[in-house]
Amino acid sequence: MTEPEAGSEFERARRAAEERALVDSAKRGSRAAFEALYRIHVGKVYGLCLRMTANTATAEDCTQEAFIQAWRSLPSFEGRSAFGTWVHRIAVNAVLAQGRRRTEPTGGEVPVDEAADRMPDAGARNDGGDLDLERAIAALPAGARQVLVLVGVYGYSHEEAAAMLGLAVGTCKSQLHRARQLLVGRLGAPEVEP
Amino acid sequence: MSDDREESMRSLDEALARLPRTVEPARDLWPAIESGLERREERSRGRRWLRPTAAAAAAVLLVTASSLITASLVRRDAPQVARLAPEPPRVVVAQAAFGPGQALGPAYLAARRELARTLEERIARLPPEGRLQLERNLSELRRASQQINAALELSPGDPLLEELLLNVYQDELAVLASVNQLAAGNGGATTDPARMQL
Repeated sequence: MTEPEAGSEFERARRAAEERALVDSAKRGSRAAFEALYRIHVGKVYGLCLRMTANTATAEDCTQEAFIQAWRSLPSFEGRSAFGTWVHRIAVNAVLAQGRRRTEPTGGEVPVDEAADRMPDAGARNDGGDLDLERAIAALPAGARQVLVLVGVYGYSHEEAAAMLGLAVGTCKSQLHRARQLLVGRLGAPEVEP
Repeated sequence: MSDDREESMRSLDEALARLPRTVEPARDLWPAIESGLERREERSRGRRWLRPTAAAAAAVLLVTASSLITASLVRRDAPQVARLAPEPPRVVVAQAAFGPGQALGPAYLAARRELARTLEERIARLPPEGRLQLERNLSELRRASQQINAALELSPGDPLLEELLLNVYQDELAVLASVNQLAAGNGGATTDPARMQL
């Protein structure tokens, strides 16, 4: 008997069932189950926060806040969406709340910090092409960056991203357009792997 | 847009979609999260008295409402005796106040469900017109609470939604309290549905 392929339908269904069981246990107060959920989702949540904030310390704060808030809100989680999707939304709220506390000007340029260098294997991937792209994303104005990250990198629809960011769909589209223009202007055409 | 520009945009979109979605933090964040959970639990322990108080307030409200309705119905069936003066309402029921951001615990919700069930049995004995109006109001409020709960699932912890939910619960209790007041006011035979409006 062969092991099911990672990413196969069977494997996805097994993981989903496992996650539902963890969510149920966590809802009943199991801190261990919640920690397991954290371990499963922290990479994606942190990646989202890091790209949205372009700052490692802020991304860590937002990730922590998102999981603390998720624990607190677990009783109201009814499983209409996947836990990962739900915690992503909480993370976006945490990023936006953090931005408001810092009173970062929404349209202002954010200096590139070390965030891009913290991306996994950034230097090894694509001969530095992805690293340049990460740096260029980090240097985008906050509003354009947030839309680009949600729609361009994480694959949310404009409607979903607009709802998460509290924007009109039209504003979301124009921010994405602006972000793409700025990136192409700065990078030229990024190389695509065959 | 020129072909070159379009091609650049397409390449950019592909490069963006290819970026890894998962980025592991440089350090384990769980210890900080765990201590954050402890801190919040300690803070909420300080306010925990509010939960039993809220549950007790709701319980008193519902029990009072159901008891007085029953008493009124019993009085209505009993032989009439002359009174020197009309009896003032025996209980003035205030809305339960939970405070903004105060989460409703499972114990409160279970008590509320049980007491609401008991009260519904009493309501079934009200005159049809009044009962209809009451049921309509309650069903609107319950629909509102379902919608807010659904919105809360999408935006967990949203203070505005939490406050709205508490307001709806308070309104629901106020409607139930109005049953009690009406029962006390006219011997349980509520005939004016408008008085059951919030």
